[in-house]
Amino acid sequence: MWGSGILKGFAITMRNMFRGPITVMYPEQKLTLPERARWAVAPRYDAEGRPKCTACLICVNECPDHVLNLEVSKSEDGAKHIDRYVYEVGACMMCGLCVEACPFDAIEMSHEYELATRDHGDLVRVLLRDVDAASTRRAKGGDDA
Amino acid sequence: MSALGILGRFAAMLVLLLVNGVVLIYMLRKVLGRLHLRIGPNRVGPFGLLQTTNDVIKLLTKEDLRPDSADAWLFNIAPYLIFVPSFMAYIPLVFGPTLAVTNLDTGLLLAFALTSLVPLGVLMAGWSSNSKWSLIGGMRAAGLQIAYEVPLLLSALGPVMMAGSLDPARIVAAQSGVWLGFIPRWFVIPQILAFVVYAIASQAETQQTPFDMSEAESELITGFANEYGGMRFGFMYLAEFSNTFIVSAIGTMLFFGGWQLPWVATPAWLAPFVFIAKTYTGIFVMMWARGSLPRFRVDQMLSFCWKVLIPVSLAWVVVWACVQRLWPVVAMAVSR
Ligand code: SF4
Ligand code: SF4
Repeated sequence: MWGSGILKGFAITMRNMFRGPITVMYPEQKLTLPERARWAVAPRYDAEGRPKCTACLICVNECPDHVLNLEVSKSEDGAKHIDRYVYEVGACMMCGLCVEACPFDAIEMSHEYELATRDHGDLVRVLLRDVDAASTRRAKGGDDA
Repeated sequence: MSALGILGRFAAMLVLLLVNGVVLIYMLRKVLGRLHLRIGPNRVGPFGLLQTTNDVIKLLTKEDLRPDSADAWLFNIAPYLIFVPSFMAYIPLVFGPTLAVTNLDTGLLLAFALTSLVPLGVLMAGWSSNSKWSLIGGMRAAGLQIAYEVPLLLSALGPVMMAGSLDPARIVAAQSGVWLGFIPRWFVIPQILAFVVYAIASQAETQQTPFDMSEAESELITGFANEYGGMRFGFMYLAEFSNTFIVSAIGTMLFFGGWQLPWVATPAWLAPFVFIAKTYTGIFVMMWARGSLPRFRVDQMLSFCWKVLIPVSLAWVVVWACVQRLWPVVAMAVSR
């Protein structure tokens, strides 16, 4: 019938009126994120609280945005030492490729989504600073610990 | 009437207009919000009640800008030309058996005459802004409102014929009592077709979605008003809401028995509340339409008016005139 679409539209909006708002009052109320939501990259730690990163640089090479950077030094016995693990969260597109690429499960996509800052400098984060890199064997569950 | 009495009445009209403006803007935001599953204003004051007052303060304190190339004289008076008629149109409204600004034998005519002055101001605003978007908005408003004036007036003729008067007070009075013992004598029942035409035409007359091409947020960014700021814009905005109130109030008087409650006699003190409640119900329906329908195209709109609404309302006037003339004859023949 001519005009039935209009009536249908009216019915839909009236039904909405009785359904009540679906707005989540954001700063006061928050939705729980789905488990696989991808937000800022964060390092992972082992049971003793040491970072699991081995400084293999795979993530650094993998990142399409070039926002990860590892400053690594080597001690005399050849063990790697992480001076700084720098992450430019402001330029990260949360693609998760770094996490997928990491063979040691040393980083994760966290659920931290409130990323706005007042200071531009805060958009560059140092994830790890001045720690020994996990040795490859230990990270793989080896017996050298 | 003494000069003081006249001033007092004008003050009352102004207060009513301002209060209406503030309440209606808040109501519009809340209603549109709820229709779209949102909450609407909720931050300023409890339930966002102070949002409109804050907006008014903002408009009052804003810089009054005029584009260099605008036609200064026309640009400055256009908002008042839009505002004053919609202010004056409160004159013929009948709020109760004894409560009206003044009693006019041709009150209805005055109301329609005043509302039809609005497109002039709109066109003036659009032209004098010297911006193509404003001009497009102004031209659309003129074309549209002049076109929709015709069915609006024609649809009012049915109730006028039934009441036999152009005086709103008498039209309302003619709707007291019941038909067949239980149907309230509201003209909407026999005049349902005229009412539908009136509802559509008044939505267009007040430039509300789906007929808001002259503002057309998405293409013209408020059209004719887009070079205006501060209180000049405030006047246009206020006029728009007061026009909404007026068409709804006239509709209430023409079709829904004005200040009268159905079935029972209305005490004089209750009458204005009944009238306002009915008017606001009408406004709610207009907002409901506003929140439900997308905007028409200009050509669709104009052809709808000239090819559907005007013929229908013209035919209705003719049909109703015949019915009204023949009814006593038929009734007499039947009763014999
Ligand atoms: S999530 Fe993507 S863009 Fe962000 S650091 Fe990892 S690889 Fe780079
Ligand atoms: S985070 Fe993973 S991929 Fe990146 S350097 Fe550390 S161990 Fe290698």
